[in-house]
Amino acid sequence: MANRRHSEGLKAARLLMVLSSISPLFILWGIRGNSLIPDRYFLTFCALMVVLPNIFLWMRVKTARKLQEKREIVVGAAEDHRDHLLVYLFAMLLPLYAIDFRAWRDVATALVALGFIVFLFWHLNLHYMNVLFAALGFRVFTVYPPKDNNQLTGKGSYALITRRVNISSGERLIAYRLSDTVYMETAA
Amino acid sequence: MKLEFDLSNISVTEFGVGRDEDKGQSFVAILVDGQVQGALREMATTTWEAMEADSDNPTKYDPSEKHSGTEYLYLPLGEELAASVRELHQAANLPLEAQALSDPTAVFCYFARMTDNKKRRLTALRRASQFKGLLKSRLIRLVSDALRLVDDRVFKIDNDFDLLIDSKNIHILRPSGFEFAGKLQEAIRAAVPQNMKAIQRDLTYVDFENIEAYARAHSRAARYLASIRSQKETKDIDKAALKKLCKNTGVDVGERDGKLRIPDEQIMGFLEVLDRRRYELELVKGSPERFKAASRSKIDAAGEAK
Repeated sequence: MANRRHSEGLKAARLLMVLSSISPLFILWGIRGNSLIPDRYFLTFCALMVVLPNIFLWMRVKTARKLQEKREIVVGAAEDHRDHLLVYLFAMLLPLYAIDFRAWRDVATALVALGFIVFLFWHLNLHYMNVLFAALGFRVFTVYPPKDNNQLTGKGSYALITRRVNISSGERLIAYRLSDTVYMETAA
Repeated sequence: MKLEFDLSNISVTEFGVGRDEDKGQSFVAILVDGQVQGALREMATTTWEAMEADSDNPTKYDPSEKHSGTEYLYLPLGEELAASVRELHQAANLPLEAQALSDPTAVFCYFARMTDNKKRRLTALRRASQFKGLLKSRLIRLVSDALRLVDDRVFKIDNDFDLLIDSKNIHILRPSGFEFAGKLQEAIRAAVPQNMKAIQRDLTYVDFENIEAYARAHSRAARYLASIRSQKETKDIDKAALKKLCKNTGVDVGERDGKLRIPDEQIMGFLEVLDRRRYELELVKGSPERFKAASRSKIDAAGEAK
């Protein structure tokens, strides 16, 4: 098979899923408030940043189900990556939460830092890291393809959001596609 | 013959295309919505119905036979000639490529992969003549009371597939489609040395040197070799009986140092003898008749075709 440069699809959808994953930060900022921006503007902004991406995420799951965007995923190996949520918490939520907006430069700094994080999450396909999934009882597994010496077998790994506690090697799962690298199993 | 798949209980339907690229062929999946999935399932059902209507007891695909355009044949998935198609059927997690149809001229086939409620897999494949055909023709549609050209790029899927692949067999409805998609021509030519070796082991009294070179250059000869090998009936061929049949059916073979030597112009005839395609009848005493069979099937003691 020819080697091709894989182009990851659903760019806008992945961006909104990243925004959904950082929405808890806006809840914290909204509760904390600040002395620089009037509450009516700041709270509205925070509320929009919480509600809109999560509505989109909900719509993405709904659309995938409606359009029957199902695929069979054959598991070579699977790793439970609950620890990614901790990394997410310490790397993103806690440092940014602590920023105090006393001058407009603080706001600009926070937004640029947030921009970097959003870009990295988007670029590295970390859009599956979402506290909401954990709250709803889902786990996130990284599923690696089987090593079957078949040239046509996909070589990429997937993030699988599922309620399963463990996934065995060789299992064949049916999951909805949220993006090219993130799948969700709604019935285990 | 039974299909190892439940067409009425399909839980997943995936679509994909095979593309010719600079570095070879690639197979990628493309997401399609529920309506397209439904159409693909309908195509698979239509294909199976056409196969059932054609024959309950299909014959095994034989590379040396001249098959008709539509004819239900089968080939066990484990066979060497099934290698290319088997690889596609058994591939896991095919990569997704949303842009795969951006250059439709590169698409040589399209396929559907389905999973039933027992997690059995069915792959259905079709040569992509319609995908390419549409590039050359222009579509029109009725808008208000006037016909207009369709501006969008439109891909048309067919009514049925060329072949279905389950866990045990390739069910072939259009042999030419199978040969095209399975790269049979290339596979048969590439298999000439192995086929030659296998036949040579049984017929040690035949000099195959020039036959191999001939078969590499002539696909029909290569097909005969693949067929002769797959029949596995060269083991106990008697040298004298072979010489006699060659002589009776007009194939001139020479002999040197105890080995039969086949002149280049007699190779096709000799391979037809080995492939049981040349035979002699003498229904009228003293008037033997020689025949060459374009198609043949072995019959058992009861006169039934095997």
